Amino acid sequence: MKLPVKWINESFKKDYSAIELSDLLTLSGIESEIQKSKGEEILDISLTPNRADCFSYKGIVQEVSALDNAKIISVKQALPKIHHNLTMEVDVQSKEDSPVFMTRVIKSINRNAKSPKWLKEKLDQSGYKSINAVVDIANYVMLETGQPLHTYDLKKIKKTILVRRAKKKEAIDILDGSRKILDPNYLVIADVEKPLGIAGIMGSFESGISEHTEDIVLESAYFNFETIMGRARALSLHSEASMRFERGVDPAIQEHAIQRFTNLINEIAGGENGPIHSSINKKEMPKNKFITLRKDKIKQILGITIPNQTVKNILNRLDMEIDEKDFGYIGWSVKAPSYRFDINEECDLIEEISRVYGFENIPERIEQQNTALKTKSLRQIKRERVDSIFHRLGYNEVVNYSFVSPSMNSLSNSDQDMIDLQNPISIEMSVMRNSLWPGLLNNLSHNIKRQNKNIKIFEIGKLFASKNKKPIEKNVIAGLIYGQRRLESWAYQRNSLDFYDLKGHLEDLFNSFELKNITFVSTSHPMLCPGVAAEIKLKNKKIGIIGMLNPELAADMKLDDDAFIFEIDYSSLELPDLRSFVSSEYYPSSRRDLSLMISNEVIIEEILTEIKRLKIKELKDTIIFDLFDKSDGETTQKSISIGLIFQAKSRTLRDAEIDEFISKVIKMLELSFQINIR
Amino acid sequence: MPDNLSDLSKSATQEINECSSTTELDSLRVKYLGKKGAITIALKSVSSVEPKDRPAYGKKINELKSLIQGTLSQKRASLQKKEINQSIDDKKIDVSLPGRSNFGGHRHPVTKTLLEIEEIFYGAGFAVEDGPEIEDEYHNFTALNIPSNHPARAMHDTFYFNSEFLLRTHTSPIQIRSMEKEGVPIRVIAPGKVYRRDSDITHTPMFHQIEGLVIDKGINFSHLKGILHQFIDTFFEENTEVRFRPSYFPFTEPSAEVDILSKEKNWLEILGCGMVHPKVLENLGINTEIYSGYAFGMGVERLAMLKYGIKDIRSFYENDFNFLNQF
Repeated sequence: MKLPVKWINESFKKDYSAIELSDLLTLSGIESEIQKSKGEEILDISLTPNRADCFSYKGIVQEVSALDNAKIISVKQALPKIHHNLTMEVDVQSKEDSPVFMTRVIKSINRNAKSPKWLKEKLDQSGYKSINAVVDIANYVMLETGQPLHTYDLKKIKKTILVRRAKKKEAIDILDGSRKILDPNYLVIADVEKPLGIAGIMGSFESGISEHTEDIVLESAYFNFETIMGRARALSLHSEASMRFERGVDPAIQEHAIQRFTNLINEIAGGENGPIHSSINKKEMPKNKFITLRKDKIKQILGITIPNQTVKNILNRLDMEIDEKDFGYIGWSVKAPSYRFDINEECDLIEEISRVYGFENIPERIEQQNTALKTKSLRQIKRERVDSIFHRLGYNEVVNYSFVSPSMNSLSNSDQDMIDLQNPISIEMSVMRNSLWPGLLNNLSHNIKRQNKNIKIFEIGKLFASKNKKPIEKNVIAGLIYGQRRLESWAYQRNSLDFYDLKGHLEDLFNSFELKNITFVSTSHPMLCPGVAAEIKLKNKKIGIIGMLNPELAADMKLDDDAFIFEIDYSSLELPDLRSFVSSEYYPSSRRDLSLMISNEVIIEEILTEIKRLKIKELKDTIIFDLFDKSDGETTQKSISIGLIFQAKSRTLRDAEIDEFISKVIKMLELSFQINIR
Repeated sequence: MPDNLSDLSKSATQEINECSSTTELDSLRVKYLGKKGAITIALKSVSSVEPKDRPAYGKKINELKSLIQGTLSQKRASLQKKEINQSIDDKKIDVSLPGRSNFGGHRHPVTKTLLEIEEIFYGAGFAVEDGPEIEDEYHNFTALNIPSNHPARAMHDTFYFNSEFLLRTHTSPIQIRSMEKEGVPIRVIAPGKVYRRDSDITHTPMFHQIEGLVIDKGINFSHLKGILHQFIDTFFEENTEVRFRPSYFPFTEPSAEVDILSKEKNWLEILGCGMVHPKVLENLGINTEIYSGYAFGMGVERLAMLKYGIKDIRSFYENDFNFLNQF
């Protein structure tokens, strides 16, 4: 809402500067910024939803008066003359929705009358377009008093005005040109044939005034704010009236607004006034009750004792009624004025007192608490361990949106339902991701375009799925590598990153969490290259997947190099228990190397597993130090060289013992794999 | 025989002095002093000399032996020095060539900021809690005193899946869940991703929040002011001028926005806070006559932007290396 500073000053003896007003209001919860337009200083005011009462000139003036303890210059309004007895018949069928409904018929308005300069100026400075005298005056009165008014063309109303709930699928063509389909959730103003408007939101196109209108029906109503709340939004509508009605207008101001409109229209465009027709249902009117305000409670919430006189003074300035008799030293009984819907409980009063008293006058303290020394949280330790591994390996961390395009999601996984957003920002962000890979691939493309040729990235975040219509979330860590193993330099040969780089990085990660029994088992996945994809298992339970990006995708993305990606369950990375240190003495180790020719079909892990199964406890480690394919058309074989390292815990091994171990290994290899040792 | 010895002496010293490497010197040592060396043989031949000449002859051989030994070690020292000098010359490199560096990776500025904030509050005794990003209406709105149709819901621009589930618009539901689980007193912060249907230079449809909640006996607004001012000073690593400005949130009352004074002397809004609304506490069965509490919430991107001088919030989600490498 915009209000010219000059206009606000019309109500006070003092001449406030724009900065004074803006500070005064902002520091008590009515955010206002100073704007300049055609040499005029204007306050642009943003209201929080609770302050319906400030949604007008009158409201802001009241607020300034309360905050600065300044008197308002009141202007007496003359009562308009009554020229005839014609009234509109009104039947308020839905009384709880519309406790106050007033109308007046004004006939023979000069339809050529123009809004005077002062009116046009005030409207313009407040951000309203001047349309015609009737609309301008209605807007002006709303701005001045906070009461939205509606004007109908008398000729277009059939018999009676009805205030009722809409029928199921009742259609209405409204002023902005659109057609809305209603249901009993909405309140309408109607005549006996058709709806004339959606109550509190917008009138119908047909019933509105036009350049031919001479006789009008003016409506000034109080609608229950709960009846209007959210309805405009549900219809994708937004009007000055609905914003005020859904926050709540003052239920005591309808008559004042009608009289003000009448005076202005008579002054500008003449017209013959009928009497005001009122339908008032007192039972349904909002009534502010007396609320108990305890001094102790003020202290409990604010932490300070505010002198009684100060509390009373603040409440008086806010137009609150105070009754002290019941409470003596405990506190007060307080009733808010009719326009303050937001004051219903003791805490609302405490808020009022605190904001007028000034937050700056409440001291800063630190609460006492039982402090205990502590180390970092496990969550932090885990995060830092993961980060340190990947940062050391040169990975940048990325953070991507949790929503992706449906096409990318269906690529990455097909066995989970997708989670679709009902109201996405765009189709590219319409489905909750079921993998972090699409995001990482986006990051890859983006950075290649910016001429970054070597990419290592990782992300920690959630995946989404649904099961039995319930959402499932899972924290994962995913990564991608692309480009050269080392930065281009005189000191290195150029080598592209490969599967074993990525696998090695993950082995570093698993080692730092002391995860044993990790295996990589060949698998297939639509996003991965067949033959270069593996499931990652921890004690035979799948915890992740790793592989080379499918060359078809790589070609689509116009990648020059192979990309390698992984994704693992973040919860599988558990911090190891603290163990006690085992001291050990040193005895020399001995190494024996074996070179074997094996069929290409044999997986090396199988050989290592079989060697382990021999349970030679002196076998400390195995190293695969050479590997090459010997395929020559007919035979597809590979040669591998394994180093076996033996070491005993408490003595030096003798050659004869080691020979025995080696012959055990060779015998097993010959038996299980039909391997000849070279 | 004496002639022999003097020849031997001459040839040995000559050969040793002409020798040009320590390896050569080693073979000369063998030649003269080894098991089958000339001196050793000469010593053995003492028995073939006349007995009366033996002492003199023996003495001469020993003198010769120590002469050769002396010459050898002298020569060895000079050769070694020469050889080391030579190898030093060979080792010379261009120290200006770039080294084999391993450029480490970088933490994303959002994570960096989030963990920093987490650490500050963890140090002040706050536990860190997690919660689901897909929330239900109850925990995201109703439990926080935001009934359906409440105009405050328009402030949130929610992403919906259906009538029941939505993407959380703030991390406050984590606080509700913590209170349901742990009861009071409670002292937690809830960091995480939140979602609002909004996108421009200052808004992304996903961003990060950290909210804090303290409920205990005797907690009041002055404590809220105290902890937040301390937090701001710690986070920005300097004494900051701070103001608390009345505002409105359905789940706190009184509510405040906190502004800090920038170097350019502008007030910048950085977080929202307030005393927990009694309705929120009552919904959870907490006696408001005994307990009271404060809550606060802040946007992580906003704080990172202020701290590092980032102008466009969208740059956090481009993940451009030129951006990431700066953190």
